[in-house]
Amino acid sequence: MAEALFDAIVVGSGPAGTFAARELAGRKVLVLDVGYRAPEGPPLAGSLYALRRERRDLFAELIGDGFEGLHNLHRDPVSLKLKSPRTSYVLRGWQALSPLVSTNFQAMMSFAQGGLANAWGAGVYRFNSEELRQFPLPAGELEPYYDELTAHIGVSGGNDDLVEFFGRDPSLQPPMRLSLLAAGILQRYQAARKRFRMRGITLGLPRLAVLTEPHNGRTPYAYDNLEFFQPYNPAIYNPVFTLDPLIASGALELARGWLVTHFRESAGVVEVYARHVETGAQETFRARNLLLGAGTLSTTRIVLASWRDEQARLPVLENPMACIPLFRLSRIGAALDVNDSSLAQLNVVYRDPESGELLQGSLYGTTGPLRSDVLFGFPLTARAALEWSKYLSPAMTLLMMFYPGRREPDNYIRLQGNALLVNYQWRGTGGPERALLRAFRRIGFHGLAALCQYPAAGSSLHYGCTLPMRAAPARYETGADGRLADTANVYVCDGACFSALPAKNLTFTIMANAMRIARGLRRKME
Amino acid sequence: MDRSDQARLDAEVRYLHDAFFSRPLAAEVVDRYIRAVRHCGLDEDRTAEKIVRSRLDAEAVEFALRLRGRGVALTRKIRILFYLVEVRSDYYADFVNETPLFGRALWRLAASLARTAWKLVKGSWLVWRHGFG
Ligand SMILES: Cc1cc2nc3c(=O)[nH]c(=O)nc-3n(C[C@H](O)[C@H](O)[C@H](O)COP(=O)(O)OP(=O)(O)OC[C@H]3O[C@@H](n4cnc5c(N)ncnc54)[C@H](O)[C@@H]3O)c2cc1C
Repeated sequence: MAEALFDAIVVGSGPAGTFAARELAGRKVLVLDVGYRAPEGPPLAGSLYALRRERRDLFAELIGDGFEGLHNLHRDPVSLKLKSPRTSYVLRGWQALSPLVSTNFQAMMSFAQGGLANAWGAGVYRFNSEELRQFPLPAGELEPYYDELTAHIGVSGGNDDLVEFFGRDPSLQPPMRLSLLAAGILQRYQAARKRFRMRGITLGLPRLAVLTEPHNGRTPYAYDNLEFFQPYNPAIYNPVFTLDPLIASGALELARGWLVTHFRESAGVVEVYARHVETGAQETFRARNLLLGAGTLSTTRIVLASWRDEQARLPVLENPMACIPLFRLSRIGAALDVNDSSLAQLNVVYRDPESGELLQGSLYGTTGPLRSDVLFGFPLTARAALEWSKYLSPAMTLLMMFYPGRREPDNYIRLQGNALLVNYQWRGTGGPERALLRAFRRIGFHGLAALCQYPAAGSSLHYGCTLPMRAAPARYETGADGRLADTANVYVCDGACFSALPAKNLTFTIMANAMRIARGLRRKME
Repeated sequence: MDRSDQARLDAEVRYLHDAFFSRPLAAEVVDRYIRAVRHCGLDEDRTAEKIVRSRLDAEAVEFALRLRGRGVALTRKIRILFYLVEVRSDYYADFVNETPLFGRALWRLAASLARTAWKLVKGSWLVWRHGFG
């Protein structure tokens, strides 16, 4: 394989790498990936709450013989979805493979096949013309790719008030069933719609890459609440569902276990240097073109390391978050709605009158994680907290708002020796949270500004804009075709090449843009 | 881990369990607790041992220390215990409400607030009296 000259090498098999590679299938293409997979084992059969009630002991499945479920008790906290015995492979080894130093940016990277999308919430949203304003792309350029993606992965949702922000999509599968709480919110919103809209708040159904009907051999969502514990749920789109068949059919080659460190270009050939993560063996792979889809942070490292540049400070953006708990008082002490799901129930879009920014968020139920994950956040004794969580959970929903990424001169990413160094500061005013709390209070959902939480910068896992696309790119920027300035045949196809980071979840656009860049390259090859 | 450490952690988990749950403790939870405490690097901490030796109110001491930003290891040990029992069906009803109980729930919430206030007073006194660092 090392002797071969490929038409293209794609680094990474997350949403970016997978959809770039898919466009090039049939050519001589190699996907290089570390590519960890979930541990083998029989899937959990049934629903989380039925299993918990009926199976005497679920220690191996929910905590794990290696105590994976206790991760946040003794190590840097990670998303609750990424610390169960069967999902912890998503973050396996990332700190060793890609060290990152920061005092104010809590990043995470994945070296699994499928990348972070092994654990994603599957919210898929088209960027509209306002959100693409800073991208050097003609209007409507991404639409055909979004359409193709929708047909390929299957998207459920509705065409409601949010069409104004999400666009109308006639090809959606029916929306997911709402929990009692979410259905109540939507009903009351519809009655008070005018007042909400006047305050810049719009509510509606989320668009999710989660099937509610069979699609391409995959089965619909079973409302089993197992998202925190069970990988490869066929209803929730995962890039491995696309890449595995392409590899099996021979349309693409995949080399797993390889960590790409840097590249070099000479005489129309890109040499890609990689180290095997198990054996430590070094290898050089050769191709006419290189597509970097290793995730924003890892792609940035590869570029900086290739140019051996420890001086350059590149911009980096993420979506700061605010987490707002809301309570429906009349549901205190109700039976927990165990057929709820931990996926987004509703979306909220808010136009902040002060900044003019659009914020987007999702309402989640609380049935996904174990109670022990959240109990000790209450300012109560452990026993009192147990009672509160038991009786309040049925009444509680979490509104997770994303702010757009803002470009700040002091926020940067750079290479320092072997580590990426990130500085990221962000300070919100709390204004949007207060406005949302006021609006929800009017329809009977209560919360307190004091209970709002602001996860550390980096926790959104939405990273981008380190090598932004520009009409006339300078060094460390990319052209509209994704090509990295000062290179002949190196393309960036993940969030690193975004020109801006709106509050809307980015992955659908990462996929669409990766397709667009790879299709352009394919045309060039032909 | 030598035998005395094992015995110390064994006594500790039994004492902590009795402070929060009123049912017999399964041997496998004891074994997992001991391994988990080691795994999380908490086996050196002696706060819980002191509580067990002096038969103190673990709930009160933990809360008083937590509010002071201290006793991190003790809180983590109690969290480990909660995790280990939450995944067992015997404890399902401790964590998940299955029957609608609006009035009773309000009463229980109010009572647990009062309990928290009382435990804070008691815990603060115990922390001072027994010199928990
Ligand atoms: C809990 C959670 C919920 C989320 N929810 C949503 C959501 O609802 N909607 C949304 O839009 N997004 C969501 N995201 C974010 C989404 O998963 C990411 O935006 C997306 O996965 C990024 O895709 P990517 O291909 O650019 O990078 P990644 O998914 O990070 O994939 C990187 C790939 O590159 C490989 N790789 C990295 N470095 C190297 C290297 N040096 N050599 C070889 N291979 C390498 C990795 O093995 C991996 O295959 C969520 C993420 C998480 C964790």
